[in-house]
Amino acid sequence: MAEPDSGERAVSELRELVAAEQKRAQFTAQVHDFMEVCWDKCVDKPGSKLDHRTESCLASCVDRFIDTTLSITQRFSQLLQKAGH
Amino acid sequence: MEASSPTDLSVSDPQLQHFIEVETQKQRFQQLVHQMTELCWEKCMDKPGPKLDSRAETCFVNCVERFIDTSQFILNRLEQTQKSKSAFSESLTD
Repeated sequence: MAEPDSGERAVSELRELVAAEQKRAQFTAQVHDFMEVCWDKCVDKPGSKLDHRTESCLASCVDRFIDTTLSITQRFSQLLQKAGH
Repeated sequence: MEASSPTDLSVSDPQLQHFIEVETQKQRFQQLVHQMTELCWEKCMDKPGPKLDSRAETCFVNCVERFIDTSQFILNRLEQTQKSKSAFSESLTD
C-alpha cells in the first residue's frame, strides 16, 4: 500500500501537470482566435511569402485586438461594479 | 496488478498510451486540414470551374505556407507581448 506522503506528492504533481497542460491549451486556443481574426483582416491573396505590409498588419491586428479586449473588459467590470452597488 | 511507484503517473499500458497519442495526433491533423481547407477555399476559389486550374493550385500552396507563417508570427508576437504586459494575460485567460 502506498504511503500517504507519496500519495499526496503524486496528487500535487498531477495538479501541476494538468495546470501546465491547461496553460498550453489556452495559449494554443488564443493563437487560434487571433489567427481567425487577423488572417481575414490582413491576408488578401496568399503570396509566395509574408510581405512587410502583411506582417505589420498582423502585428497591429494582434496589438489592437488585445487593446480592444482590455478596454471592453474594463468597461464591463465598471458596469458590473455599478450594478452591484 | 502492481504499480511501479506511487509517483509514476504514466498510463501503465505503453501500447494504450501510444495508441492514444497517435489518435490524438490524427485528430489534430484532421482539424487542421479542415480549417485550412475552409480558409484557403475562401481566399483562392472564385467561381468553381470544370477543373482545378494551376492558378488556384498555386494559391492553395501559398495559402497553406502563409497560414503556417502567419501562425508562427502571431505565436511569436503573443509570446513577446506576454513577457512585457502581464495584465494582458490576466484579462484574456479568464
